Amino acid sequence: MNDRIVFEEVSKFYKEILGVNRVNLSIPPGITSLVGPNGSGKTTLMNLMTGLVKPSRGRIQVLGINTDDAENLFKFVGYSTQFDAFPRGLTGFQFIYSYLCLSGISAQEAERTAWEAIQRVNLVDAASRKIGAYSKGMRQRIRLAQALAHNPKVLVLDEPLNGLDPLARAEMIALFRASAAQGSYVIISSHILHEVDVISDQVILLSNGYVVAEGQIQTVRNEIQEHPTQILIRCDRPRELAAKLFASEYMIEASIHNDGRGVLLKTKDADRFYLALNQLALDGIQIESIAPADDDVLSVYEYLIGNEEVVR
Amino acid sequence: MNRLWWTQIKAVIRLEMKKTFFAKRGLWIYAVAALPVLIFLAYAVAMSNQQHRSARIARESQKPLSYQDLLAVKSGMTKEEVVAILGKPPLDIHWTEHRPTGPGTFEDIDHERLQYSDGQNDLYVELSHEKVEGVNVQDTYNLGQDAIVFAGVFQFFFLRLAIFFGCLGIFMNLFRGEVLDRSLHFYFLSPIRREVLMAGKFLAGLLATCTIFVTSEVLQTVAFLWHFNPHTRDLYLYHHHGLEHAAAYIGVTVLACVGYGAFFLVAGMLFRNPIIPAATILVWEFINPFLPALLKQFSVIYYLKSLCPVDIPVPPGSTGLLALLISNADPVSAPLAIIGILVVAAIAIMVSSFQVKRMEINYTSE
Repeated sequence: MNDRIVFEEVSKFYKEILGVNRVNLSIPPGITSLVGPNGSGKTTLMNLMTGLVKPSRGRIQVLGINTDDAENLFKFVGYSTQFDAFPRGLTGFQFIYSYLCLSGISAQEAERTAWEAIQRVNLVDAASRKIGAYSKGMRQRIRLAQALAHNPKVLVLDEPLNGLDPLARAEMIALFRASAAQGSYVIISSHILHEVDVISDQVILLSNGYVVAEGQIQTVRNEIQEHPTQILIRCDRPRELAAKLFASEYMIEASIHNDGRGVLLKTKDADRFYLALNQLALDGIQIESIAPADDDVLSVYEYLIGNEEVVR
Repeated sequence: MNRLWWTQIKAVIRLEMKKTFFAKRGLWIYAVAALPVLIFLAYAVAMSNQQHRSARIARESQKPLSYQDLLAVKSGMTKEEVVAILGKPPLDIHWTEHRPTGPGTFEDIDHERLQYSDGQNDLYVELSHEKVEGVNVQDTYNLGQDAIVFAGVFQFFFLRLAIFFGCLGIFMNLFRGEVLDRSLHFYFLSPIRREVLMAGKFLAGLLATCTIFVTSEVLQTVAFLWHFNPHTRDLYLYHHHGLEHAAAYIGVTVLACVGYGAFFLVAGMLFRNPIIPAATILVWEFINPFLPALLKQFSVIYYLKSLCPVDIPVPPGSTGLLALLISNADPVSAPLAIIGILVVAAIAIMVSSFQVKRMEINYTSE
């Protein structure tokens, strides 16, 4: 059995809409976070990983199992989705119990395992109540219990901390860590890097359906810092500004904008660029505006971690 | 089929049965199934009342009458002759008709209706000017006629509408309902083959529809036989194939659930809007008598009609189209009909299996 979750050139299109494109991943054991803004493709990646959607192109294998093979796949995989709907009329216990019965185990074993899972998410008191009467946090926890119930090797959790209070978050994070420590694969999605970077062994950064960075959290940070940034500067003397800035070692490219009233610059060190720009402004070049010219990884990263961590 | 699959199928059935039987959106199916029972119950009550009335009239007669006595009255007889045969009428109604004979002129015509009964059959004698103008004998126990009415209700309401739409409501929602509820992923995240899941859901639907409609069919038979006296009932059940007919109707009901269930299972997977396939299948089933022989075979009603135990006679004076619809011009033998339905259902289930394997969870597009 392969010991990785592997995506090979995977693309998914929903008719004309791009879900994810040309994704190549090899996810090792431990906690892996999928981070990206809403619509970046996190849920699509998780749905692909669990066979809920089929790739338009490419191949996915989870521990060597094809995602079409639900019978074998879900012996090893538990998925807590973001879908906030449940089969009608079931109590929390019945929900987990029915799920376990579907795997073909005996009623007694299903009952025992269901209670264990419910205990792990601290929902024993509410287990006999209908899920329809649960709060958002309780529904989140019962979904987690479903994913955890059969002690899967791979735990896929879509925004698992959403709707949880701080205490419940801490409990869940401890649960994920314990699973990872036992050699499990815990895949967590979040649109806030802060939320998951402390607990993650590796991070996959997604933007607009593309994997823009991947690896250990420090590697991703470095990768982002080395990524060139495009900036459009409107000023009264664009040619002079371009010539002066281009002399510096951190500039990669400079070109005069089509309308002749601005310069498009590409730099690999945004911090030093901004310092130099301040100096040029002091030298008398009238700068009207400075704006990022692309929706690059830095802007995604900035969105994810919050402005205060981007040093300019 | 291995043991694991069977265990999983049973787990799916348990889950589905709870949803199917107690779903609010399925209440109308119970109403549709109960409708023919209510019709036959109402008929039984009406007939029972009429029998009591006939018995009362028979008791009030001057002398005990036989069916032959009732048939002895003919048009053209005088009232005295009628009374001579049947005695003084227990029920005698008089009225006068003002019949116009010209502009502003009227003629008064005295009418009289006499009613006799032998306890089971009623005789209505219409008199005008003391002469018999019309004679009408009505049977309160006309089992043959009632059996044809029962067959008509079964074929044209129960099979073509009640079971058809009941199966539509249950089988189309097996997958489609969960897509609309956004809860289908619950099954798709279980370690269960999609084909096994589909088999479980189909069997759950079949169990539900068979329970509802077979119960309805049994109750219809009970209601249908309710107003007959025990002797007539026993005669019908044990000597005139009544039990065989009842068993055949139950068998046809089960086969209808299999056939329409399979059709609607696949339709629920292929179409988002259930009205389109429902209307298409309904029209297809309706035009079946007018289709070429080869196309007829890809229909459920074609086989079911051949299995129905009582043929419905074409009413005299019916148009060709209606006659073709009522009659079964091209019946198939019972074994062939059963195999035909099972083959049609198997084809539909195979298409469903193929389709369920391709299904994706994408609720936003629904």
